[in-house]
Amino acid sequence: MITFEHVTKRYPDGTVALDDLSLECPTGKTTVLVGTSGSGKTTAVRLINRMVEPTTGRILIDGTDVRSRPPEQLRRGIGYVIQQVGLFPHRTIADNIATVPYLLGWDKKKARAQAHELMERVGLDPAISGRYPYQLSGGQQQRVGVARALAADPPILLMDEPFSAVDPVVRSELQQEFLRLQADLDKTIVFVTHDVDEAIKLGDRVAVFRIGGHLVQVDTPERLLAAPADEFVERFLGYDRGFRRLSFLDAKSLPLSTVDMLELTASAEQARAAVGEGAPVLVVDDRRRPVGWLIRSRVARWPDRSTLVAVGHTFRVDTDSVRAALDSAVLSPVGVAVAVDGERAVVGAISHDEIAEAIRPPTAEIGPA
Amino acid sequence: MDWQWAADHVDEIAELTKSHLYLALMPVLWGLLIAVPLGVLCVRLSWLYPPVFGVVNVLYALPALALFVLLLDFTGFSNATIIIPLTIYTLVVLVPNVVDGLRGVPEPVRQAATAMGFGQLRRLVQVELPIAIPVIMAGLRIATVSSISLVSVGVLIGQDFGGLGDLFIDGFQKNFMTPLIIGVVLIVLLALAADALLVVAQRFLTPWSRTRVVRGRTRARVARRWRPA
Repeated sequence: MITFEHVTKRYPDGTVALDDLSLECPTGKTTVLVGTSGSGKTTAVRLINRMVEPTTGRILIDGTDVRSRPPEQLRRGIGYVIQQVGLFPHRTIADNIATVPYLLGWDKKKARAQAHELMERVGLDPAISGRYPYQLSGGQQQRVGVARALAADPPILLMDEPFSAVDPVVRSELQQEFLRLQADLDKTIVFVTHDVDEAIKLGDRVAVFRIGGHLVQVDTPERLLAAPADEFVERFLGYDRGFRRLSFLDAKSLPLSTVDMLELTASAEQARAAVGEGAPVLVVDDRRRPVGWLIRSRVARWPDRSTLVAVGHTFRVDTDSVRAALDSAVLSPVGVAVAVDGERAVVGAISHDEIAEAIRPPTAEIGPA
Repeated sequence: MDWQWAADHVDEIAELTKSHLYLALMPVLWGLLIAVPLGVLCVRLSWLYPPVFGVVNVLYALPALALFVLLLDFTGFSNATIIIPLTIYTLVVLVPNVVDGLRGVPEPVRQAATAMGFGQLRRLVQVELPIAIPVIMAGLRIATVSSISLVSVGVLIGQDFGGLGDLFIDGFQKNFMTPLIIGVVLIVLLALAADALLVVAQRFLTPWSRTRVVRGRTRARVARRWRPA
């Protein structure tokens, strides 16, 4: 656990980068520090590896003051990844990754082997281990940066806007990879970002900072979205906070309705009878996988499959969130989201209105007038 | 052009070439030995650089002859009388190139090195100086070539002190062109050869550099290219 105890950082010119910060970053969890520029989040991570020294207060790692060890020694046990990566241009990829093992005096062969293993771990082809950084793309360089930080297997990882400089597609890839890696490694991670979406996606806990180095709120992403501490946090989280919060609700909780289904092999009479009342009917194949909606105005042309209305994307009841279900209903031409199981077989359906009803907060929460 | 004269004097010319190289390269070596620590100091103590830069520039403006005369009192008729002024002249390119080379090390690289647990000295030797090599080499090439051409002024002190420059005096005094032409051609060839050798050395030392060969003082631009796109 990393503990900030009433830490203030004031620069000689009077600027206050951090104002009386008390914060705990639990072991094995990702704590994301998020805030606008000038809110002190970068200063906070640099206090941990003594790149910055506090004016007052203490930083403890598992109860021991970071200042009780010489900075070089302390830093070799803390991985550090920055936005601009900062790879050594004059060293090969393998040697870049093996930097800390070399500093720790590992045998060269062992360090190289470790580098190769890490390359695979972060999704790099070990065949490029002999290349130089300038020969790599931005996304690859950042993967090398992460591998380098992990090389000596430090228990703590500091990441300062590591994915901010790459394009959105690569960023989302790196974020997925980050989650996969962290699920394996259980490092104590302090992650800095200015991107709220990234914070919510990656953090076990999110700490929101405001200009002047004030910590405003620390909470799980879910609770942060549900109950922002003040107007600043609320505005910072953005106007789709309510929608985003649905990511944390399981689709399992939705009350599904049954849906009228029609097999592809049905006769014209059966089709007519099925849409008799006017509601669209879901056409499924022999394994109950959705094919399309049959609507009343087109029933005369059954069984021409091209007249069916596309289902759009379905949602998996067992793994998806309410957000995915709502999205599927919003995009559905008939306003109904189709729920499927792991085999893509239809298990039910739910309309806009039914989802809206399900996620409406109970009136009790509104409180008395 | 009297080829017979050349053939008769091969040994003497070879001897002069050797001493020319010695008198030209020793100053570059000494210059590097002074410029690297001085440059490192100037980067660390940034207030030191403007006065140092001013001094090396002023020293470069001193006429060689004046320096020789000044030094004769201390070093007499020895190689040092040539080597010291030429060493001083190399500093005008070497010191700025060492400083710019070190300053060209991208800040994220420096920070990453610090954050991974490099001490100051180790960071300098293993990270900063290697990254500064292309820029330092660019200065070294200029210093070497100019030193090779400058040695010939040493004949002003006396024969034996100007390397191939000796041939100029010889030719001049006898109004005989052959030694003059041989001297000029050999000096140019030496300069070209030394430069080519340094280019090869740099390729060998910096396989990681995209540009490989840096011409003149284009150092800052080179440093910028290393940043990730």
